[in-house]
Amino acid sequence: MTFTPEQARRDIPILNRVLPNGRKLVYLDNAATTQKPHQVISAISNYYETTNSNVHRAVHTLASEATDAYEGARSKIAEWFGIGDGYLIFTAGTTEAINLAAYAWGRHNLVAGDVVVLTEMEHHSDIVPWQMLAQEREIEIRWVPLQVETSSLDMEVFAASMEGAKLVGCIHTSNVLGVRNPVEEVIRLAHSAGARVILDAAQAAPHDRLNIAESGADMVAVSAHKMCGPTGIGALMVNAETFAEMQPFIGGGDMIREVFLDYSTYQEGVHRFEAGTPKIAEAIGWGAAIDWLAQWDIAEIHSHTLGLARHTAAGLREIEGMRVFGDHGDGDGAVVSFIHDKLHSEDMAHMLDAHGIAVRTGHHCAQPLLRKLGLTSTNRVSFYLYNTMAEADFFLATVRDLVARFT
Amino acid sequence: MYEAGSWPIRLQQIIDEFSEVDDSMERIEMLFEYAQEIDELPMSEWCDDTKVHGCQSEAHVLPMQNDDGTFHLMGASDAKLVQGLMAITAIALEGLAPSEVAIFSSDYASEMGLMNALTPSRANGFRNMFRKVVLAAQEMGE
Repeated sequence: MTFTPEQARRDIPILNRVLPNGRKLVYLDNAATTQKPHQVISAISNYYETTNSNVHRAVHTLASEATDAYEGARSKIAEWFGIGDGYLIFTAGTTEAINLAAYAWGRHNLVAGDVVVLTEMEHHSDIVPWQMLAQEREIEIRWVPLQVETSSLDMEVFAASMEGAKLVGCIHTSNVLGVRNPVEEVIRLAHSAGARVILDAAQAAPHDRLNIAESGADMVAVSAHKMCGPTGIGALMVNAETFAEMQPFIGGGDMIREVFLDYSTYQEGVHRFEAGTPKIAEAIGWGAAIDWLAQWDIAEIHSHTLGLARHTAAGLREIEGMRVFGDHGDGDGAVVSFIHDKLHSEDMAHMLDAHGIAVRTGHHCAQPLLRKLGLTSTNRVSFYLYNTMAEADFFLATVRDLVARFT
Repeated sequence: MYEAGSWPIRLQQIIDEFSEVDDSMERIEMLFEYAQEIDELPMSEWCDDTKVHGCQSEAHVLPMQNDDGTFHLMGASDAKLVQGLMAITAIALEGLAPSEVAIFSSDYASEMGLMNALTPSRANGFRNMFRKVVLAAQEMGE
């Protein structure tokens, strides 16, 4: 089906919301979380209304249906990302996925003196878990600098940092700058040094199928809620070699084969990393989000959202005193961070909110990146498939008006 | 004790002024205007001692006493909304005895409908700012 944002909007009830101040919602905070089509909402409520049961263990009809729906969602999501369903571990989201990598892989494969290479572009969720492990294990963390002028990673330093590296953590697409990093080159450099690679693909997954098996990435972390799925679920997807090096992290029900008083044995597949009752409704909802997105060509969706970002960045750059980040090149995310030299980002966000426009403000969980830019906070607009050029223009007109009135 | 129902007259006027306005943009403009009324703490005097922690913006307050011993608040922030809230606080407390400031209620911000309009981080910042002011007033009284 040919993609149009109007088609997508028709499926998303919240976009008709009128705010308490009487303004119509203009939702431009999609890098934080996306809105949900009724197909996703219905899939979740239908599950609770007709199928709710615990999965895997019982033999009754509901359990069987719930298990089929849950595992069917896993297969669908894995297929979307181009990886076998035996290598998609459900987590609570990207953050938990990277923590799972740090505990289930890192704790069993990194020892004192080993090197982890990270970039200054990382989200806190790809920094803090490795710092915690580094402090515990005396692991060295090397930082690949952000080049502020070009909004890009210093790939020469990247290459030079590879000596002795065991793991490289890299954000696929920056949640602050929108920049898509050269992940193919990152993977190539890491693998030639014998290091494994984990990609934080939270911002990439909404715009890119990723083709994980083809990409060669060892571990990829994503969140459902950034791609019209429910909150509370995401995945760590790993290749077979990395999977074989991982040991269970959270112990409990569902992840065991047998439990004795003095020891336990664990399941072989992904379930060994999914202790306890899993996120059943959430997985089904995520599967529905994939079905919904799959109506269209993801490349068309990306072209539309990137077009909005380019238009917005260009419009903001025309405003005196405005600093706009990122180049919005072909593969980049639809994220535009900006800051005005006379209007504080929080003041700007409150005033935009008074016009019904939802934007993000703050450090975007990337304080090292913001520090490198010499800032503590930016405003950020981020687009998804249901945003329109009219919304981008309304946003730009409002910003122009606010700057004219208050500076 | 100054609390809801018995605010100083000037503060009560400000509360009434905000209560009459429904339009959020108009309320923001009012806060911007109040921001200009504070005895502004020059940036050169911003330091760790004056910093209000928990704000996304840079916010600084310097509680002090007038010659007659009554309370006076200097303050500044790079965010005008924050400085506006500070200014209203300064107006509310101006000329009170430090012992009165020490037991002043911060409920005026919610009564003005401002707490609902604040992000959680900014609401925390306001509470931290108010606590800093009250603690300073308590020390003045000792």
